[in-house]
Amino acid sequence: MIGRRRKQVMNAVQLALILIAILIMLVPIAWIFMAAFKNHIDVFQLKLFFTPTLENFGTVFEPPFFLGHKLMNSTIVAFVTVVFAIPIATMAAYSFSRFRLTGETTMLVVILATQFVPAVVIILPFFVMFRDIGLLDTRIGLILVNLAIVMPFAIWMIKGFIDGIPLDTEEAAMVDGSSRLQVIRNIVLPMAAPGLLTAGIFCFIIAWNEFLFALILTNKDAVTLPIGLALFKAEEGDLWNLLSAAGIIIMLPMFVLALIIRKYFVQGMTMGAVR
Amino acid sequence: MRDNTLKYLLVLPAIVVVFATAIWPLIESLRLSFTVGRLSRPGSLEQYLGFENYIWAFLYEPAFWNSVWVTTIYTVLTVGLTTVLALGLALLLAPGGRFRSGVQTLLILPFAMSPALIGVSFRFMFNPEFGLFDAVFGVLIPPLADVSWLVDPVLAFAVCVMADVWGWIPFLTLVLIGGLASVPQDTIEAAQVDGASGWRVFRDVTLPQLAPVLAVVIILKSIFSLKTFDQIFMLTNGGPGTATQTLSHYIYFNGMKYGQIGYAASVAWLMVIPMIFLTYAYAKFVFRKE
Repeated sequence: MIGRRRKQVMNAVQLALILIAILIMLVPIAWIFMAAFKNHIDVFQLKLFFTPTLENFGTVFEPPFFLGHKLMNSTIVAFVTVVFAIPIATMAAYSFSRFRLTGETTMLVVILATQFVPAVVIILPFFVMFRDIGLLDTRIGLILVNLAIVMPFAIWMIKGFIDGIPLDTEEAAMVDGSSRLQVIRNIVLPMAAPGLLTAGIFCFIIAWNEFLFALILTNKDAVTLPIGLALFKAEEGDLWNLLSAAGIIIMLPMFVLALIIRKYFVQGMTMGAVR
Repeated sequence: MRDNTLKYLLVLPAIVVVFATAIWPLIESLRLSFTVGRLSRPGSLEQYLGFENYIWAFLYEPAFWNSVWVTTIYTVLTVGLTTVLALGLALLLAPGGRFRSGVQTLLILPFAMSPALIGVSFRFMFNPEFGLFDAVFGVLIPPLADVSWLVDPVLAFAVCVMADVWGWIPFLTLVLIGGLASVPQDTIEAAQVDGASGWRVFRDVTLPQLAPVLAVVIILKSIFSLKTFDQIFMLTNGGPGTATQTLSHYIYFNGMKYGQIGYAASVAWLMVIPMIFLTYAYAKFVFRKE
């Protein structure tokens, strides 16, 4: 009896701890959500109950903030980055997965290592080069450097997916006289498609949230959403209600995308070190 | 086409991209680190002065040592706290069931949040006049009322650490839940049958088997902690003074604000060195399975 009693108490303690963890986790997010629907007077009071307004979501798109322009930049930059990265990464991943290449391990380690290079190291020479050839404050410039952070993830993640596709269908097709490229197009790509989509979404999130490159390379035309957050300042301080509304516009689409690919998030981030 | 040619052709575009976007800038940064490298003076990017930038950082720049110190403490604290708390949460959530699985799903959210936004959110919460933290803790612990968190050097640093830990616990928890799932259940049961207490089972059975995953987590988190920039920039911008200036922030400031790109590159390369060791350690774990 005592044992069971003890177990019940332990269970209750565990549940309480989990609830506290959820609370701590959600409060900063909830705080932003609430502020986004407050008018600028309510923000300065800690009201939990207030008359919600959608006004902030309109204001952020108006002058002088023009969040729509940043939204478009972010979407184009993240999307084009993914469109370039995924096919290139898929080709490489297939080769790494199916063949033995000279220097394969070295290549894979170098690709992995580039992910760990601090972004600030990469951006210094790019700033100088872009200044000289006129790519500063352009979306093209931003897309180019974004490839640096996205490629290693994409290659490793897609390689993991292709590793999981059984060889026999491919071999059977080869025996039937298909060429290697036909096999890739007709068998591997359809089977790997969900994996490619997952990797694409993963890379999109990373490119969307990218901050340091955009901070250094853009100042007006190509400014992305995270950098746009800095706009919501007035002489009297931060415009928290607008900042929060912009914050929701940044994070909500990523929440949806992250939930779609949640099963592969860990594998993607750890590059296969943990499956 | 023969497979022997094809396999290299398939890899080629990826290698070109990785070389152009990561290897070249690394090498070019190294070159810049030996130059005068002033953004405002054309030609100074080709004016070499040997190791002078490095010597300058080591001997004449207290701000450099400050950022090394800040980054070190920051890394130790965030890695330690995040790992321990995430392990605790992972142990709580690992048993599964509908409720716990639901919570696991929620864990994705903070991680999908841009670090810059996490910085903004914490700056908001720690606002002394109308921040949430002040309202809650000011009432619970009166001495904390109206404390200007982001004005005090130590407290501002603590807030930065908190924001980082908050942002990373969910991801580390998910990794560790995966790790716990791969610990064979029968070894745990055997120990329980032998009458070992819950703590003994955890310390002597679970923990040793979890060690490789734990190592991966610690290395990965160390790398990301060392690089920290986004949320610091949005939360304190290195301040007050230089109290929260990490190495990345110091490099950014010297390179971009002061235009001393040669000097910034030398500090950046000093930062690459610990990364090489960490990457090497990490790669060992990745290839262990193959």
